[in-house]
Amino acid sequence: MTDFYKAVRNSTFYESITNNRGIDMQTKWRLISFTVIMIMAMAAASMAETPHLPADIHWLTNDSDPVYASSDAIKGGALNTAVLSFPLTFRTVGPDSNGSFRDFILNNNLSLIDIHPNTGNIIPELATHWAFDKDGKTMYFKLNPNATWAYGKLVTADDYVFTLEFMRSKYIVAPWYNDFYTHEIDRVIVYDPYTIAVVGKKAEPDLYLKLAISPTPRHYYGALSSDFVSRYNWKIVPNTGPYQISDFQMGKYIHFKRKKDWWGKDLRYFKNRFNVDRVSFTVVRDFNMLWEYFKKGKQDVFGLVMPQYWRDKCRIPIFENGYVEKAWFFNDKPRSATGMWLNMDRDIFKDSGVRYAFAHAMNIQKVIDEVLRGDYYRLEQAYVGYGRYTDNTIKARGFDLAKVEHYMKASGWRRGADGIWEKNGGRFSVEVLYSLAEYTPRLVVLKEEAKKAGIELRLQLSDPAAAFKQILEKNFDVAWMGWSTSLRPQYWEFFHSVNAHKPQTNNITNTDDPKMDSLIDAYRNSLSEADRIRLSHEIQQRIQEIGMFVPTFMIPYTREAYWRWWRLPTPLGTRQTNDIFDPFNSVTGGLFWYDQKRHDETLKAMKEDHPFPPVTIVDKTYQTEPPVK
Amino acid sequence: MFSPLTRKKLRRFKSIRRGYYAFIIFCVLIAASLAAELLINSRALVVRYQGHYYFPTYGEMIPGTRFGLDYPYETNYRKLSLLFQKENTGNRVWMPPIPFNPYENDLREHAYPPFPPSFADRHFLGTDSSGRDIVARLVYGFRIAIFFSLTLLVVNYTIGVSLGCIMGYWGGVFDLVFQRLIEIWSNVPFLYVIIIISSIVAPNFFILILIMACFGWTGLTWTMRTATYKEREREYALAAKALGASDIRIIFKHIIPNVVSVIVTYAPFSIAGGIVALTSLDYLGFGLAPPTPSWGELLQQGWDNMDAWWISGSVIAAMVFTLIIVTFIGEAVREAFDPKLYTTYE
Repeated sequence: MTDFYKAVRNSTFYESITNNRGIDMQTKWRLISFTVIMIMAMAAASMAETPHLPADIHWLTNDSDPVYASSDAIKGGALNTAVLSFPLTFRTVGPDSNGSFRDFILNNNLSLIDIHPNTGNIIPELATHWAFDKDGKTMYFKLNPNATWAYGKLVTADDYVFTLEFMRSKYIVAPWYNDFYTHEIDRVIVYDPYTIAVVGKKAEPDLYLKLAISPTPRHYYGALSSDFVSRYNWKIVPNTGPYQISDFQMGKYIHFKRKKDWWGKDLRYFKNRFNVDRVSFTVVRDFNMLWEYFKKGKQDVFGLVMPQYWRDKCRIPIFENGYVEKAWFFNDKPRSATGMWLNMDRDIFKDSGVRYAFAHAMNIQKVIDEVLRGDYYRLEQAYVGYGRYTDNTIKARGFDLAKVEHYMKASGWRRGADGIWEKNGGRFSVEVLYSLAEYTPRLVVLKEEAKKAGIELRLQLSDPAAAFKQILEKNFDVAWMGWSTSLRPQYWEFFHSVNAHKPQTNNITNTDDPKMDSLIDAYRNSLSEADRIRLSHEIQQRIQEIGMFVPTFMIPYTREAYWRWWRLPTPLGTRQTNDIFDPFNSVTGGLFWYDQKRHDETLKAMKEDHPFPPVTIVDKTYQTEPPVK
Repeated sequence: MFSPLTRKKLRRFKSIRRGYYAFIIFCVLIAASLAAELLINSRALVVRYQGHYYFPTYGEMIPGTRFGLDYPYETNYRKLSLLFQKENTGNRVWMPPIPFNPYENDLREHAYPPFPPSFADRHFLGTDSSGRDIVARLVYGFRIAIFFSLTLLVVNYTIGVSLGCIMGYWGGVFDLVFQRLIEIWSNVPFLYVIIIISSIVAPNFFILILIMACFGWTGLTWTMRTATYKEREREYALAAKALGASDIRIIFKHIIPNVVSVIVTYAPFSIAGGIVALTSLDYLGFGLAPPTPSWGELLQQGWDNMDAWWISGSVIAAMVFTLIIVTFIGEAVREAFDPKLYTTYE
């Protein structure tokens, strides 16, 4: 799922479908419905009075933001794509559920509301209207009465109540969700089957990100029991989205089928989207194999972000004859804070001059130009792409030997016999901890360049799990890593002193700065957007002043190859699009469609050896970074 | 210095031509790799600057400022050489035949490694995917692999031979207990253990030796134990015992020299095994930390860049050549030390 929506998704959780039902399912449903009614009745009876909506409620909706799907889109066709490994379970909560396949299931579980990928405004999803309460922690929702679960059951208020019961249940073995739905979400109030309120525990900014929960089908789960984890491993749970798993074979493939009469297909922001009838995920365990499959036409799309694929490996007939087209689409979304994190609990990095010198000794631009083929961009700071929350005046420290010299001398260091800086018997030799062999070519160039600046980098490649553990235990000099993003910049976990000098926190640099603390506290406690933006800029300035983070690269785009019978809208995606062939994402996905005529035409042309002009689309609609040199 | 018996064995070894020449080539290779800094290096052999001679190969780095350049970091001798040639003021740089060290990235504008072999660029076998010279990586990688292998051999044999002999000499409960322990120990899946350990601590040369020696010594104990069982019943062992020699003295002074032929025949194959083990670990990414030059890492790059045939081609050729040489030596040694004189190996 896109990082942009992580905050929303973290709070919107559910389970999906099954078609492995027994014959007596009808009877069972009746029983369950009966139980549900009984429970509802008891719940209603236990309350002193039925809740009433506040009188001064001000309902909001959004039917005026621009649509981004193409009206040319036609329904039909099948998208053949791949996963590198078969998921460990179809459950979306509980043990082993946190794999990449979960997104495909979750994206077909809609939430109450979502965020427009281009404007950032709230758009309706399962709710048609919403309203904010003055208390700053309650939101009201009017549900779409047409919304149904797969197999036709209506989605009603009780399914949201059940989400809380479900997520708080100890049987799902998901402590994070247990905690979130207990300590962040207070309760769901039902006014009638199609009107609810969701109440958070405390007033906070951007409340809608947290309260836009998803329904969970009570009629399907009934009462949970201790066998939940094993029982629902391979069950296909009813969902509310456009696709549902239709069949699968363990270790081989999973097929999703479009629902014929999906309730949402004519809604403003869903129209002309989710066009293909079937999406197949075949398990292909090796990336090189995947490329071979793609070249044979057994895969419809192939990601080309890696420079050697985009530039070298594409020089083959299927591209040159135009049977396969290429698209380069720039997006505009929060960028991962990727770079070198300096551990300030290490003596050497206690001196800010040494930290600045270290930053100036990293020849990132050379790596970009000569290893990454100019395809990556320099990340200027840790919080790029957060819209107004980002201070775009902050620029990363560039490679500059004179400045290294200046800072090191000012801190009392001198060059040793081997050219490395020395002070009091210590050398400026630090270990760089990283976790993927793919990064080695970049690091060896940095290492050789740093030597010129008098700094020795010792590369330490560790496997990802071990490296991450070492980093969280603050047992490193320099960590080469990136963090995932969220809709708004998060500072407390990374830079507040309460998280410094102890293991298992995300303040891996051990930033312990009173000024930083007061800024972060103010940021977290403010409910005013203007204040938060101002504080956000100040915090980013402070990060730059402390200099514990050396930003490296970002990739502000996606690149893909696809057979020419696949069509895309103009622009190819949205501001938030991560993958222009994402079939399911509820806000950015399903924009492409299949063109039968072009498919036949292409196959015929291939048979007759008749070429088409090669096509490379470069779409810079949402580009914010300086253009490629 | 040698006993007549040993001299005879050496003569026989020499008479087996294939093995003998392989041995000579092998020694030359090791010697050459020891002097690799003089043959393959980015540092010049000799620099003549304003009448002074500099020998930068060994020793501290010489900053560019020493030669009138404008930077305080290590002199780029290749550029300096060009500069002196252009100036033509009697200054001169003598570079090694391959003027690259195994760590530096020879990158270019608008072209991306791996670069194919080129005599003009002096990359005789091309570069790897980071622009590092393949000959340099191969030679320095060979040096590490061969010394790794030799060190491992010494450690393994010291433990294996001593323990095997003691088991055979003492026999009884000690033998029985150790046999069982070794059986259990040798059933531990050694590769997995290395993988697990490497993921926790970054392996360096000595840690890897330690880990591999932990599991490598067991194989030898069986042969040594059997040989010792036979030897301890011989008259010279009994005589030494009768004279009051200690067990340790009998084992190390009398028995081991007499069973040494068994060990020696194993040795070349152990060297080959050590090289293969290190290469495979590096290939899998659990070996020595980057950017250490390594054959396994080159092999990995060759797999990732199939079109760059010179990477996999060079390393496979080097590997096959080395292993064949070692095998030839091994064969000859086995034959020379064979007590049954008339056995032939074809």
